[in-house]
Amino acid sequence: MKRTRLLVLGVACVAVPIALSACKRAETPPPAPPAVAPAPAPTPPPAAAPFRVSSVDVGNAIGADKRVTVPSATLAPGDTIYASVASTGAAPSVTLVARWTYGDGQLVNEQSTTIAPTGPAYSEFHIAKPDGWPAGTYKVEILADGTSVASKSFEVK
Amino acid sequence: MSSGDKPKPDFSNVQSGASSTAPPPAAPKAAAPRTYTVLAGDNLSKIAKKFYGDANKWKKIFEANKDTIKNPDLIKVGQVLRVPE
Repeated sequence: MKRTRLLVLGVACVAVPIALSACKRAETPPPAPPAVAPAPAPTPPPAAAPFRVSSVDVGNAIGADKRVTVPSATLAPGDTIYASVASTGAAPSVTLVARWTYGDGQLVNEQSTTIAPTGPAYSEFHIAKPDGWPAGTYKVEILADGTSVASKSFEVK
Repeated sequence: MSSGDKPKPDFSNVQSGASSTAPPPAAPKAAAPRTYTVLAGDNLSKIAKKFYGDANKWKKIFEANKDTIKNPDLIKVGQVLRVPE
């Protein structure tokens, strides 16, 4: 009988702490869910660079990319004359004008095109004269929405 | 003109053109046609008065809806009419 009591006491000594610890564990609040990092604020798309004419080249031929194949400051009377305007930036609408003049400013031709560039672009203007260009100095001036942005002089001989 | 002046060259026959790798501007979207749903007691004159301030312009609405209105004196409640600008 005494042995039985001891046994019961021993079992109790072992069981009670386990039960207590089990109870304690149950009382413990559930572990907090893993912290969720706040979603980073959406970064606004980079603002498109404003439209800008970077250069103009003149020559007697252009490629499919609208670039003058061989820029030249001297052309022949029978050439079709091309001016290729390189631009960067974006604009919903911009009107480019090529104003071609001869000698002291005699107007040869004025041609315009309206574009909506979204990035780098090439725009070409060309002029031809069936009976040939008179020898002399010429100039092509490029205007963007009415503002002169580039020019190039060349010679026909 | 003095005898020493050179005549100015004639550039009237110059041919020109232009093109670009950039796209042309998008064409403005056509405005959605204006419509009106017929209510009880409406007639074309009343609708014309409402939109144009002139009941005599009912024909304009009639002409724009000839496919659905056979008799201009008979329009139905709930009928959707095109109302030209």
